[in-house]
Amino acid sequence: MAEALILDAEAVNALANQSGRKALALRASAVLSIAYDKRALVRVPAPVLAEVCRGVRYDSAINHLLNSPGVGVADLTRKVAQQAGHLLARHRLSSAHAIDAFVVATALQFDTAVIATGDPKDIRRLAAPYSRIGIFPL
Amino acid sequence: MSQPAAKLSVSVPGELAAAVRKRVGARGLSGFVARAMAHELEREGVRVLLADLEQELGPPSKADLARARKAWPKR
Repeated sequence: MAEALILDAEAVNALANQSGRKALALRASAVLSIAYDKRALVRVPAPVLAEVCRGVRYDSAINHLLNSPGVGVADLTRKVAQQAGHLLARHRLSSAHAIDAFVVATALQFDTAVIATGDPKDIRRLAAPYSRIGIFPL
Repeated sequence: MSQPAAKLSVSVPGELAAAVRKRVGARGLSGFVARAMAHELEREGVRVLLADLEQELGPPSKADLARARKAWPKR
């Protein structure tokens, strides 16, 4: 099922609020550029929206990014949710890390994927067994 | 609920049509073409997003591009 660039909360915020986060946005644009070269899909796991959406007054930049035809939201399906639970159990992590696990489980739905993240430590730990997932720390 | 389908008539090179039919079969052709069209539209969206980012921020550094390329897993 193709290749994908998966955006976590920091990557979404960086791309949505570019001028306020210039250094992060530049790094996010670098990985987005490589994703384009590789013909990869760009996906935001639906649970990430819980981390970045803070109400109608604050969401316009996020909505602008998500309304771009180039960025899709990957729905949280039963398969992804259960896989996330298995990842947490394997790594003895609590559900406090659930969103990280959803992000990695979403990446696993693709042949290969890169996760652009502002917090690579736990994502790296969850994705460690999978050589088909790359991590791009912002 | 699925959206109503639209019928399209398109012309493509014969060799390309044969290669696609060989890969997906006649019954899989519509799905294959729909996925390819959707993917191309998404790519166009990413291209526009990249152009907006470059206009706002300038181009990403060569070092960040190299790091991003290196992050991509081998297929």
